[in-house]
Amino acid sequence: MSAAPLITINGLYKEFPIHKGILDQLTIAGGRVVKKHESVKALSGVELTVWKGESLCVVGESGCGKSTLARVIMSLIKPTRGEIRYEQERIDTKGVGELLPYRKKMQMIFQNPYASLNPRMTVRQTLQEPMTLHNPELNVAEVNERVVEVTRSVGIDPSWSDRYPHEFSGGQRQRISIARALAVDPEFIVADEPISALDVSIQAQVLNLMMDAREQRALTYLFITHDLAVVEHFGSRVAVMYLGTLCELAPTKKLFSSPQHPYTQALLSAIPRLNQSSSDYIRLRGEVPTPVNLPDGCVFHGRCIHASDRCRRENPALKTYADTAVACHAIEEGRI
Amino acid sequence: MPGGVPCEVRCRHRDPQRDRSCATAPVRIQRRHSIVSLLEVKNLEVRFAMRRQELIALRDVSFKVEKGERLGIVGESGAGKSVAAFSILNLISKPGYISSGEIFFGGKDLTKLTAREMSQIRGNQISMVFQDPMMTLNPVLTIGTQMTEALHAHQDISREEAKQRAIETLARVHIPSPATRFDQYPHELSGGMRQRVVIAIALITKPPLIIADEPTTALDVTIQAEIMELMMELCESSGVGLILITHDLGVISQMTERAIVMYAGRIVEEGDTRDIINHAYHPYTHGLMDALPQKTKPGRRLNQIKGVMPALSSIPDGCAFNPRCPLVIDLCRTTLPQFTVFGSTRVACHRAAARTD
Repeated sequence: MSAAPLITINGLYKEFPIHKGILDQLTIAGGRVVKKHESVKALSGVELTVWKGESLCVVGESGCGKSTLARVIMSLIKPTRGEIRYEQERIDTKGVGELLPYRKKMQMIFQNPYASLNPRMTVRQTLQEPMTLHNPELNVAEVNERVVEVTRSVGIDPSWSDRYPHEFSGGQRQRISIARALAVDPEFIVADEPISALDVSIQAQVLNLMMDAREQRALTYLFITHDLAVVEHFGSRVAVMYLGTLCELAPTKKLFSSPQHPYTQALLSAIPRLNQSSSDYIRLRGEVPTPVNLPDGCVFHGRCIHASDRCRRENPALKTYADTAVACHAIEEGRI
Repeated sequence: MPGGVPCEVRCRHRDPQRDRSCATAPVRIQRRHSIVSLLEVKNLEVRFAMRRQELIALRDVSFKVEKGERLGIVGESGAGKSVAAFSILNLISKPGYISSGEIFFGGKDLTKLTAREMSQIRGNQISMVFQDPMMTLNPVLTIGTQMTEALHAHQDISREEAKQRAIETLARVHIPSPATRFDQYPHELSGGMRQRVVIAIALITKPPLIIADEPTTALDVTIQAEIMELMMELCESSGVGLILITHDLGVISQMTERAIVMYAGRIVEEGDTRDIINHAYHPYTHGLMDALPQKTKPGRRLNQIKGVMPALSSIPDGCAFNPRCPLVIDLCRTTLPQFTVFGSTRVACHRAAARTD
C-alpha cells in the first residue's frame, strides 16, 4: 500500500460490565455469597488500519461489535485495552480538551436521522454549532456563508435552513446530518449504518451524495453496514466481523469474488438477490454465541463445518495471504 | 389481475418472450376461473379522518390471492402496503376507516362483518406475522400460553391436546427441543427463534391465508435466509396462501410468484414476480430496480429516482408519480392512468407502451 495509514488500531478490546455496583455483583450460589463479575466482550483483539483515501466497510450481523468499533475509534467510548492512533498520535489516552482538534478531523454520521438531529434546533443552528466551536475565528457572516455552501452541497435548499428537522423527510434529514459532518471540513468520516433507516429510492440518493463528497473532498470513510449490496458498491476494502473479532479483511472485489473465511462465505450466500432461488445458501448450524461467555478458540468454531480440535482450542490470528487477511486455522493449514 | 382478461388482449404484445408466456396463459386462466379466489379485494379505499382534512391512504386497490399462492406487495414507507394488509383483517384503527370497497374471503365480505364475526376469522382463517418478534410476543407469558391461546379462542380443544398441537407446530418450524421451548419465555430465545415462534403461532390454527408484514426486516441476513426458506417450505407443503409485505426487492424476488407494486396509495403495477423484476413497465418499478447497487458498476453513481414520494395530503393531479417520472408527458399531469395489460402484467401508466419498444 502506497498510501499512509490514517487510523491504526492495535489489539483493541472493549468490555462492557454487566454488573456495575458492588451489590449487583454479589449473588448467592450453593449457599454462599459469591462475587460475580461478568462483562459483554464487544471487541476482542481487533487489529485494523484505515489508509488515507480509502472507503473501508465494516460488515457483520447485529451484536458483532461493528458499532462499538465505530464509537471507540471516534473516542466516544474508551477502549478497555489496546491503542488507536490517528496518523502517528495516540488518541485513546487523550482527554476531552486534547481531543478537540481531532474532532474537527473526524466526524460521524449516525443511523437514524430522526434521532440524531436535535428537534429543537433549526438546520442553521445545527450546522453553525460545530463550525463556531471548531473555528472560533469566523465571524457571523462567514459562518452563514459556509452554512449556505454546505447545505447546497448536500442538495438542501439554503432558504430552508430556518426550518426544524420535523419539517423534513427522512432522506432530507440524513442529508442534513451529512451536512453537519461536512461542516467542519473533516478528512475522516465514520458512517454508522447511514442508509439503513431510509427507503430504497432514497438510499440511492444518499449513497450518491456520500460518493460525491468523497470525490470532492478526498474523504476517508469507515462505513459500517449490514447491507452487503451497498458494500459491494461503495467500499474499496471490506472488513467482516463476527462476535467482536475480525475474520476477514480484503479488497471489495476480491471478497465478493472469492470469499475465504467460512463465515464470509455463508454471509455472502445468504443475501437475497434478484433472479435467484433461495435454496442455495450455506446454512450455518446453531446460533451466534453470547458475547458474555465467548467460546474458547475461534469464536466461529461452533457453527463452522471445517472446525477441528485446534479451532476449538486456539484463537486464530489474522494472517495475510496476498491482499486478503483471514483469521482461520483451516485456511492456514490449507484444509479449505 | 388479468384473471378476467381475454387472451387476445394479453397477446397483443410483440415481445416473443412474452408470447411464449401467453401460450401457457389460457391454461392458467382456466385454473383461475375454476376456483373461487381465496381472497378478493375490490376497489378498496381507506381514509383517515384527520382534524383538518381527510387523507386517502388507499385508492381503488383491487387484487386477488389464489389458494396456495404467494403474493408480494412492495413499496416505500407510506405507499400504503401495510394499510392494505391491515384493512383485510379490519385492523385499521381510528381515525382510519374503510370508506368503500369489498374484501371477499370464504364467500363473505369482510368489510360487512361485525367485530365478533371478524374475530372468528382473525387468527383462525387469516393469521398475521408482524415485523418485530420482540414486539409481537408478550414478554410475561410463556411461548406455550401464547401458542395455545389462539387454539382455545377458536376451537373446542382440551388443554392437553392444545399443548400437543403447539409442540407439533413448534417442531414444524424447526425449533429444536420444542417441548422445552413450550415452557420458556420469549427472552430466552434468540431473534430468529422468536420469529419462528411467531410463525408457529400464525400456523397453529391451520389458516388458509397468512399475511406477513416485513417478516424478515428485523433479522440478520443469515437468519433472514433461514426464515424465508422456512416460510416457503410451509407454504408449499400445506398450501397456505401468503401475502408478503416488504420493501426488499430481493426478498420479493425469491419468495413470491406474483407481486404488486404500490405508490402513494395506489397499485401501479402487478404481475408475475419474474416479469416485474425483469421487465418492469412502470417507470417507478423500473426506477426501484435500477436504484439497486448491484445494477451499477461498483464506485459509479447509482441511478437514483429524483425527489421523494408525495405526502398523502399533497398527491399531485393525474399520475401520482409524474413529478419524479423521467418519461412524463402532459397527459400524466392531468389524467389518472388506467390499467393496461401486457402479458402477465397490468400497469397503470400512460407511457408503459413506450417501454415495450
